[in-house]
Amino acid sequence: MQRIRISASTVTQICKSKDCLGVLIMIPHGRRCLSSSSCLYGKVFPRQKPRVVPEIAGLEPVTYADRMHFVPGLAKPRFPKWERGWKNPNHYESPKPEEMKLFKDKPCYIFNQRTSVVEGVRQALWLSKSAVIKEFPAQILSLAEDPANQIEDQDERVQNAIKSALLWDTTDDQPPRERYCPMLVHRLLHLCGVLQVRHPELAKRMLAEKYNLAATWRRGEDVFQVRGHNGLLLNSMNPLPVLAGPEQIQGTADQELETFFPIAPTIDLQCTNVYQEKSTTGFREGYPCPHAHTLYVMEMGNTPKLLPEQLRAKMIMFCFGNALVRAKALYGDEPRVLEKPIVVQSVATNGRIFQFVVFQLNTMELQSDSGVKNLVWVDEDKPLYEHAQARAHIKRRVVKIPAGLSGYQPETFKKFLALFLHGAT
Amino acid sequence: MSVGLLSSALRALCLSGSRTWAGPSAAASALVGCRGFMTSVCQLQNRTLWKQREKYTIRPIGMKKTGGRDHTGRIKTHGIGGGHKQRHRIIDFQRLRSEPGKEQPVMVEKVLEVRYDPCRSADIALVAGGNRKRWIIASQNMEAGDLIQSCRGIGRMAVLAQEGDAHPVGALPVGTLIHNLELFPGRGAQYIRAAGTCGVLLRKVSGTAIIQLPSKHQIQVLETCVATVGRVSNVDHNKRIIGKAGTNRWLGIRPSSGRWQRKGGWAGRKIRPLPAMKSYINLPTASARA
Repeated sequence: MQRIRISASTVTQICKSKDCLGVLIMIPHGRRCLSSSSCLYGKVFPRQKPRVVPEIAGLEPVTYADRMHFVPGLAKPRFPKWERGWKNPNHYESPKPEEMKLFKDKPCYIFNQRTSVVEGVRQALWLSKSAVIKEFPAQILSLAEDPANQIEDQDERVQNAIKSALLWDTTDDQPPRERYCPMLVHRLLHLCGVLQVRHPELAKRMLAEKYNLAATWRRGEDVFQVRGHNGLLLNSMNPLPVLAGPEQIQGTADQELETFFPIAPTIDLQCTNVYQEKSTTGFREGYPCPHAHTLYVMEMGNTPKLLPEQLRAKMIMFCFGNALVRAKALYGDEPRVLEKPIVVQSVATNGRIFQFVVFQLNTMELQSDSGVKNLVWVDEDKPLYEHAQARAHIKRRVVKIPAGLSGYQPETFKKFLALFLHGAT
Repeated sequence: MSVGLLSSALRALCLSGSRTWAGPSAAASALVGCRGFMTSVCQLQNRTLWKQREKYTIRPIGMKKTGGRDHTGRIKTHGIGGGHKQRHRIIDFQRLRSEPGKEQPVMVEKVLEVRYDPCRSADIALVAGGNRKRWIIASQNMEAGDLIQSCRGIGRMAVLAQEGDAHPVGALPVGTLIHNLELFPGRGAQYIRAAGTCGVLLRKVSGTAIIQLPSKHQIQVLETCVATVGRVSNVDHNKRIIGKAGTNRWLGIRPSSGRWQRKGGWAGRKIRPLPAMKSYINLPTASARA
């Protein structure tokens, strides 16, 4: 309740009734209404707006700063910003973007691991200047079909891997996705590694996680970057063999890049004026396995939840980033058409559905929209299994979803294995 | 009490240097009990902080319900309280608002999604154009994938109006159904925003336009005020049946007083002539002109 200061003749009453809880009330008329409790007659005034003090240029107001206490009639002093004098990490105020060291006038559009582009694969294709082929590359698929490349009891072992990640981990119905998704991927990778006995080339690989990728390129008048943690990367000592022949690469030069007017291709990318034009693989010089082989992206639906279209766009962008940085390390920063294209693969999963992407970097001339394009093979939405629940879902005495693993698709793991073996046989 | 005032004044003297001056709107509502001449520390309140966001975002913002209570805690408006939790989506009522740095006479945008908004009767649409996305009030037949235009200019000929497009009222043909009407150019849509409503453009007179609102009142606005063509979405909103008291409670409507009140002159339907046309033109007065 606001206090209203009125003339001294007003009677001040402290209302002791239960409703008022001891609130001090002043009655503006100076009269007390004795028929009902005084708390009902406490007049509520609307909130006062603070008095606006005009600033007159050239005129310094006389303040009470020197007197060190409030003096009625003098203006409120405005002191300069207090500086601590020493650096306290708990109270750090960052400077404005214009005052930062890396501030540039030209903005940069950054694709990071949290980006969810609204146009999905089309936007990723425009950004990386690529043409898409909506099927799994036949050369890699033939690798998996070859019986010499299959593991003994492959189906049974894969089903055991799925069950151990989803069913045998907890006594609950299903462990949370953040738990079973990475566990499943690691189990499947371990299973693929069993073939090392037959293919000694598989020993020349290394798994890496939480490495920082930084790739910069220019497209038209804008600067783009791919930054951040990508996922699980399988590195190898030898580069992947090229998938598309020179005729197919030259054929892409005639294809037009798809634009999506009225949406700009830079939508949903992080736009910032403070950036550093870096190009690093995330690994130092002299790392034994410098060539990026396969990127395993896990979508666990937490930061943020990506729809399959956006997940495929993220895979394409990160494959492109890895390939571009490798090309710059090998051939320098000059934009050129590569004689030996660089191939990077990627597998993304949300624990059940797998997406496969193979990216071939043919050119580093990304400034214009015409010319040779890069190639992307995309295989969409392949489930590994339909349901994996500890308890059956029964409705009206009819089993809708049986307990355990159901609807297992062996084809998906064959593609997974094929991507793993590519380059080693 | 005087010691308390003195100590708070001294405290203010020490701290006021480090306190940065917030905008006047934030100061007016966030700081309570702050008088210009006293140096007592102003009390911050977070009742209205959720609606003081300056930067636009499409992310829904958590709301604090007031229950009809004002800043003193007493009920100001009866019958409000409870109801399902709601998140506020900031709607952009200025259709011609272009991205900072990119002024264009014609803007084309694509509708990404049309969805229910708990804060209003109409549906809202997420539209994307250029580099940005925003929420607008959806018109009647808007669907995901549509392209909508927002034009700034007024030509000699009237534009063939497509539903969902926004034009200045002077560019539309007489007789079009419009909604999201601005009263003053650039202010943002304030009229005809409820579900299923539409106004009719009656006539255009020398730089102004006369529009009939859904309540049959007529208003006169400048022809550069922007309006959207068509009816607002969710046309069957007035035909819905609440069904039970619980539904009203989910909507946040508390029961009204059950006290029997004798019906006087205030009750019942009134049939009276329409009031005079209200003009929002702000022409200079005769004394200013002379």
